Amino acid sequence: MKQRAMWAAVLVVGLAMAGCGSATGTGSSSSGSADKLVVWDWKSGEPSAAAYIEKAKADFGKKHPDVTVEFVAQPFDQYYTLLGAAIQSGKGPDVILFNGGGQIRDRVDALAPLDEYVAEDEQRLAGWEAFAKDGKIYAAPVTLQGHPIYYNKALYEQAGLDPASPATTWSEFVADCAAITKATGAKCFALGNKEGAGIQFWLSALASGVLTAQEYDDWIAGKRDWNSPNVKRIFQLWQEAGEAGLNNDGANSTAMFNDSFAIFQSAKAAHIIGLMSDVGHWKDFNEFLTADKLGVMDAPVVTAGTTPSLPYDGGIGYGVAKWTKDPKVAADLVRSLTSTDALTAFYAEAGAIAADTTIDVSQAGPAVATLVAEIETGKPAPHVALSSKTLDLMGRLSQQLLSGSVTVDEVVKQLAASDQAG
Amino acid sequence: MSRIPLGRWVVAVPMSLLALATIYPLLFTVNVAMKTRREYILDRFSLAGDLRWENITTAWTSVGMGRYFANSVLVVTCSVVLLLLFGSMAGFALSQLRFRGSSALFLGCLAGLFVPFQVIMVPLARIMADGGLIDTYPGLVLVYVAQFLPFTVFLMTSYYKTIPPDIVDAARIDGNSVYGVYRRIMLPLGTPALLSVGILNALFCWNDVLMSLVMMPSADHRTLMVGVTSLRGQYSNDIPTFASGVLIAAIPVLVVYLFLQRQIADGVAAGSTKG
Repeated sequence: MKQRAMWAAVLVVGLAMAGCGSATGTGSSSSGSADKLVVWDWKSGEPSAAAYIEKAKADFGKKHPDVTVEFVAQPFDQYYTLLGAAIQSGKGPDVILFNGGGQIRDRVDALAPLDEYVAEDEQRLAGWEAFAKDGKIYAAPVTLQGHPIYYNKALYEQAGLDPASPATTWSEFVADCAAITKATGAKCFALGNKEGAGIQFWLSALASGVLTAQEYDDWIAGKRDWNSPNVKRIFQLWQEAGEAGLNNDGANSTAMFNDSFAIFQSAKAAHIIGLMSDVGHWKDFNEFLTADKLGVMDAPVVTAGTTPSLPYDGGIGYGVAKWTKDPKVAADLVRSLTSTDALTAFYAEAGAIAADTTIDVSQAGPAVATLVAEIETGKPAPHVALSSKTLDLMGRLSQQLLSGSVTVDEVVKQLAASDQAG
Repeated sequence: MSRIPLGRWVVAVPMSLLALATIYPLLFTVNVAMKTRREYILDRFSLAGDLRWENITTAWTSVGMGRYFANSVLVVTCSVVLLLLFGSMAGFALSQLRFRGSSALFLGCLAGLFVPFQVIMVPLARIMADGGLIDTYPGLVLVYVAQFLPFTVFLMTSYYKTIPPDIVDAARIDGNSVYGVYRRIMLPLGTPALLSVGILNALFCWNDVLMSLVMMPSADHRTLMVGVTSLRGQYSNDIPTFASGVLIAAIPVLVVYLFLQRQIADGVAAGSTKG
């Protein structure tokens, strides 16, 4: 009886494997298919991106009715690991979604330059720099990502402050925070630094009010003077804010994604350095605070004579793999994915600040209007200019600064060494 | 009213606390799955207002979990059957048959336990791609068998070592071939260990994300755990839907644990004692 069962099991495996074999395909990687394009991203599976994907597909279908497009939404946690494996094996998707900055620049060897295909879009779209290396463009921007300071106007009103005139200097800002906390119990900042990402947002959001214009531009250009008093000041402010109780309790053990955003959404903090796209942005906050009660403010001036600006870069963008059969067709899909119609849907449904500067955002509320108005004068975010190694170190040191176990001088010394090592 | 001895309390209280600490994350996940996104953001620790099943439905339908579930069942079944077959054969040979180099062979098998998948991931992906096995069910089954066979061989060898060699000798005297001994004697005697190892391997394969993700990158061939992880975008903040997906994926595992916990415990302890 038992023998029969065992042989039956073996037979089942054999049959199953035979069935398995017949179900094979090349679904995930066309790598040379002329009539199919495979796209990898981490967005297309989200309900809020459905309209965007549909519009992009429709636009591409008009140009290439004989080419099918398959979107494969990969989990973001493992996205770049999976992509690395695909690149190493030389078989993978034709079109790939990337974060701007280091993630794409580290992988340009596997990508086709898009300059000749996207020339027409260069004026319409913003944020190209984040997807370029050595003067060549490797992806077309879909969204812009930045770090505005959002504030809750309702809490300002409860504290007797004018929500239309948020503080313009650091001392005024701290005074306003004290008034808000006294009147409402809400903290000044919602901060999540469990991942060490809070300091990145802090650096980028406040830098334009602390660094001189020259220092800022030098920083972005790679000429960073870590011993400058103004650079030190940014880290001192971080430490002082923690010591003065401006942040929510347990900031070092609070996850930025998405616990710190929840603190702001539930009116337990008056301000947050958030994002422009993806999450922790105006659309998320509008849902809880209402559009009329959500404000965006410039960085408070710390160093006299500085002009605050919006820190932003290209957020995410689609590139074309080197191994694709016809780069022109794949680039056409990228162009469809960055078309005005598609990006308008992405902005409307997902709340992304799209890279397309021609999209009308007048109906989205005052916060979006402020953000879009500031794009023209905005500058690249300072933390994006740093290597991932330096960012990791900065995250760890920022936690120690908040807990009081390291000095600002020691922090900038270590960061300078890491930054110079490259 | 009879008084409970103090000694009982000393054991019962810490054990109860431990049980509570263990079950709390599961209860928390169930509670979150029943909430709206708004409820969760405003107060994640509050009890759900109503029993809402729509998050479960959304999680099931939005990423095609039915298909992923079937994929997982297929791949796990194939993998476990092959693991038990090869593992029991190797375990029998390494524990009961005397041949030159058996110890070295056993150590070689054990060495596989110390190689994390991350180390071999990229070259393996390349080999599988060259062999046309990437994004195929047999390819993933092959990877699972290769990855978990050392563990299976180790446990089966340990278990079969507890069986007196006289039984094998007697069976050989009765005219059985080596294969006959394996089939008629060792397989029936090894049933408890096979059951335990089978359950553990099923759990390993079912819970795997990374191997499945690398070997099955297309949407159609995904396993359930990869399907669950794909519910999250880069910063997706619909935690109730994600929690629902986690619950769907965890239910089979929970059922296995509930009904076969003794076999799991026996499997972990297999071969640790004589007799």
